[in-house]
Amino acid sequence: MDSSNDEALDIIITNVVATFRTRCHLNLRTIALEGTNVIYKPEVGKVLMKLRKPMITASIWSSGKIICTGATSEDEAKLGARRLARCLQKLGFKVRFSAFKVVNVLAVCSMPFAVNLINFTKNNRPIASYEPELHPAATYRIKNLKATIQVFSTGSLTVTGISLLTRLNTHRHIKYLTPFYVQLRRHIGLRD
Amino acid sequence: MSSRVCRTCGGSDIDVDQARGSAVCTSCGSVLEDNIIVSEVQFVEGSGGVSSAVGQFVSADGPVKAPLLGSGFHTSVGKESRAQTLQNGKRQIQQLGSQLQLNQHCLDTAFNFFKLVVSKHLTRGRKTEHVIAACLYLVCRTEGTPHMLLDLSDLLQVNVYILGKTFLLLARELCINAPAIDPCLYIPRFAHMLEFGAKTHEVSMTALRLVQRMKRDWMHTGRRPSGLCGAALLVAARMHKFRRSVKDVIGVVKVCQTTLRKRLTEFEDTPTSQLTIDEFMRVDLEQECDPPSFTAAQHKAKMQQLEQELAKKLDEVEGEISCYKDEIETELEKSRPKLRGIYAAYTKEVDPEDNGEVLSMPSEPEEVESEDVELQAATHHLTEDFLCQVIQEEEGHGMKGDREAEPEKESMGPHRQAASLTSILGQLPSAASLSLQQTFQTLDTSGGDEKDLGDHPQSEELDLEGIDDQEIDKYILNEKEVQVKTELWMKQNAEYLKEQKEKQERINKEKEEGTYKEKKKKKSKKQDQIEALTAGEAIERMLEKKKISSKINYDVLRDLNRGTGSPTRSPDHTPDTTVARKRLNRRRRRKTSDSNQDLAANTSIMGKRFRHLISSTPKKKTAHQVERTVSVVTETETPAETESNPPPDSAAETSPTLPTAPSPMEEEEEEEEEAEEECVSALQLVGDYGCDADEEEIF
Repeated sequence: MDSSNDEALDIIITNVVATFRTRCHLNLRTIALEGTNVIYKPEVGKVLMKLRKPMITASIWSSGKIICTGATSEDEAKLGARRLARCLQKLGFKVRFSAFKVVNVLAVCSMPFAVNLINFTKNNRPIASYEPELHPAATYRIKNLKATIQVFSTGSLTVTGISLLTRLNTHRHIKYLTPFYVQLRRHIGLRD
Repeated sequence: MSSRVCRTCGGSDIDVDQARGSAVCTSCGSVLEDNIIVSEVQFVEGSGGVSSAVGQFVSADGPVKAPLLGSGFHTSVGKESRAQTLQNGKRQIQQLGSQLQLNQHCLDTAFNFFKLVVSKHLTRGRKTEHVIAACLYLVCRTEGTPHMLLDLSDLLQVNVYILGKTFLLLARELCINAPAIDPCLYIPRFAHMLEFGAKTHEVSMTALRLVQRMKRDWMHTGRRPSGLCGAALLVAARMHKFRRSVKDVIGVVKVCQTTLRKRLTEFEDTPTSQLTIDEFMRVDLEQECDPPSFTAAQHKAKMQQLEQELAKKLDEVEGEISCYKDEIETELEKSRPKLRGIYAAYTKEVDPEDNGEVLSMPSEPEEVESEDVELQAATHHLTEDFLCQVIQEEEGHGMKGDREAEPEKESMGPHRQAASLTSILGQLPSAASLSLQQTFQTLDTSGGDEKDLGDHPQSEELDLEGIDDQEIDKYILNEKEVQVKTELWMKQNAEYLKEQKEKQERINKEKEEGTYKEKKKKKSKKQDQIEALTAGEAIERMLEKKKISSKINYDVLRDLNRGTGSPTRSPDHTPDTTVARKRLNRRRRRKTSDSNQDLAANTSIMGKRFRHLISSTPKKKTAHQVERTVSVVTETETPAETESNPPPDSAAETSPTLPTAPSPMEEEEEEEEEAEEECVSALQLVGDYGCDADEEEIF
């Protein structure tokens, strides 16, 4: 997660959340008892199943809806989801793989300089908000791209949103924001 | 005192007599006003000679009806829902605000915020408590009072983050830009709580300086202001020779011990900490520091870099060493006496096996590294490919026979490596796997759906490409394991299972007794059909059910209803029917306001004639006829006049044999019409009596 290159900004996707449906009712108790790496939560009514190869955690509900989190790319998410469905198939349920949809993508990026959050929020008043009591980062919501950017005082950013799916979009996000940062950078580079 | 002009004579000399409350024109003597309303305060003498003002306090946003005297009514009957909400909110704000010791101005502002929130419908789906807390906190922020969100959450016993979420949402929706929290605001409050006695002010000033220094050193971004305050106060106390331990400070400031310690160490790292007390009070260092997390990250990055360099160097050294090693070995071999004859054969045999184990190009360094394949797999692409093909082959049960890899299957090496590789590299597609999957797919399709293999994204068929079944099997336990796990699980979740059982038993018992009340899960509030014989009844019931607004005079509505809604009930009631007729006609007039007036007149006349017919016909059918007339009228509105003649006649003929259309629908229609009618006629009752005359004229 290092951005040693000063010109280009490395945007790394760290989490992809996807959902799909199996179109059949699932008996959670069977899954809980016969699967490895499962956690059954009867109060909530779901089973957490963790896969190793694409490192994925899936929440399985009895209605057949499944949420997959932890993948590092869209393809990986799909692969993980299919493996999961295959696993459920082997357990004896008539599983069908339908309505696969990526719901959220999280990416991380780092600026080579620190950011003064208070000034940053002041300048971008309604769009950005900063509550130190609640969260150490300032949240900046881009409406037209439908993404949320969290800016930390060290200069690292996390970008969340569905529109991050295409690589192009992620760069767009960052380009969108760089002018704001340039206003507020502290010249850390000189120190080294 | 209004200098008005007299209506009769035009004179402007008007005498207003306060005592009589009348305004009289002095020139012609006509009385312009009688019983003038005066805004004066009157005083009454009470018991014991105490004089008090006459009157009641009425709040501006109170109920629409006048508040009842005496009995101290709390349950407000007939109030609007909105007023109730606001009143409730106000009460809660007062309650919570007084606990926080906010002044009245703040509470009023909070109430205004609350009104805004309610008008924007943001209270829906949120607990009033949360919304009120958020409003109060908004006020605190805008006014700059030293109240933390934590305080509010303490009072309400709610999670801070939930309150914070509500607060953020409200601030965004109301477009209120709350200024950022300044830790300096909290210092006086905390200092007071720490009881420094007479020196509180001095200590606070020192602490303030410290906090400002911290701010310049970038310690405050992204941190809770209370933590900084705590650290500053601790240091300030020590500077003024007060003994305050970390625990005391924590109790007041509400942060964790670790946090406080961390802040202190961070401050220690800044150059300011090196100054003595006196120096600190006098001098302000120009230099600014980086934020501590930034320095930490940089430190980490540096360490990583160093490590990498070290690793590289190590590799190089290793490489060199291995080179030397090889050279030495070759030299040694050369210097060794060469084996001849049988022994030579032995040495030669060893080589192919070695090569076999390597499974790749027999270059020496690669042989060394293939043993730690797990670390360097990514760089040896050829190795990967080859190995994967071997794996595929194993799955495919030797589908490809002409592979060199076959003899290597015997050695255990590839097996082990295969397992580890698959776990790291993932399945690379190859012809073998694809063909395998195809067979799977054909099996599935033949079994279940008839979906094409072609439409990949659309089909719900599970595409098994790239899925290793063997691995998936690992995810499923075998029988014994299942038993063990079942036991464990049962033991672990014994309580939950017991609860479920008890619940089930309870339900069964209640069912037997017959008192079983099924807990309905959030039924959507559907209005059940109001069943009534006539429209009139339907309206009455509806009115009973929901009081629409306090601004409607229900009695009038009911009267209207009584007049129109029952041609069925009392056909002899000619005045009623005539009234009804008139009303219907009025409605028709309204309806036909856009269309031709003559046409409308004709149709209304027709309708009236038809009505006469109706009154003689049996009770039941009149309802239908009313509806019929409507449809007739609507039909006849558009076509020509001449056509309007036959339809009523035919309708009249068919009247005895009218099919019974579904009654609720008709009644609903009627109801609608009558409702319309009522709206219309309510207007008329209020003012417009001219219509009657018009009706008569047309007649």
